[in-house]
Amino acid sequence: MAKYKFNINKPDLPDHKIDKHKDFKKLIANYQQATKPLYKVPLYKNKKAFIVILLILLLTYLISEFTAK
Amino acid sequence: MYLFLLLPLGVENVSLNLNPYHKSANELQAEQVLVLAAQANPLRFGVLYECYFKQVFVFVHRRLDDEEQAADIVSQVFLKALINLHKYEYRGVPFSAWLFRIALNEINMYFRKNKSHRVVSIEKNDLQLLAEETGEENKAENEQKIMKALALLPEGSMQLVELRFFEKRSFAEMGTILGITENNAKVKLYRVIDKLKQLIIPRK
Repeated sequence: MAKYKFNINKPDLPDHKIDKHKDFKKLIANYQQATKPLYKVPLYKNKKAFIVILLILLLTYLISEFTAK
Repeated sequence: MYLFLLLPLGVENVSLNLNPYHKSANELQAEQVLVLAAQANPLRFGVLYECYFKQVFVFVHRRLDDEEQAADIVSQVFLKALINLHKYEYRGVPFSAWLFRIALNEINMYFRKNKSHRVVSIEKNDLQLLAEETGEENKAENEQKIMKALALLPEGSMQLVELRFFEKRSFAEMGTILGITENNAKVKLYRVIDKLKQLIIPRK
């Protein structure tokens, strides 16, 4: 299988097609979302963190029950 | 030992009309002011975004030949640039070189995950320039030879040829984009040209 596909003298996309994808507001929204501190994200919105905490609580409960017996 | 230091000079002397995005010292200084403003307030990144969106889009699209994928990658490039803007340090090359470096990493990541073809966009005139550099005359037959030789190059070597001959970037810019020094870029490109010569005219 050839490693490269060569495009010879193929023109670049026209400006209006490129500009269609330009969206600074979306970039800022994504940036704010990405840099939001973890403590500001509600726990129920972060599935992984929620499951990990649930597992820790469950394990703690089971260990305490086991040691009590 | 000294010969090793002289080798890259031949490559440097290749008469390239450097791309139109090269900036004067004053322009670089003015751009640096914009970067500092964006580092202080991300909302000010808008000016740089407007200025470089097209260049980065074209850079990515030429390597992917897929508008939607290119758009996704470009949005990631600018997001990562904005997130890591505080780490940016001025190194005497346009801010765009740093953006292209992020873009190249994103493109490499894309090709690692997907089994799509890596696209190389070439202008016939640039092929002529490469033909001259490898000592070939610009005839249709030789162009075919060069294309075949190019197809055998590993990705790293192809990037060097692409940046220098097809995009006409300075060695300083190439160094920033590839994460190597300017001199290293020259040496590596010289080796690639040598390799191309060997592939075109195999030594007996």
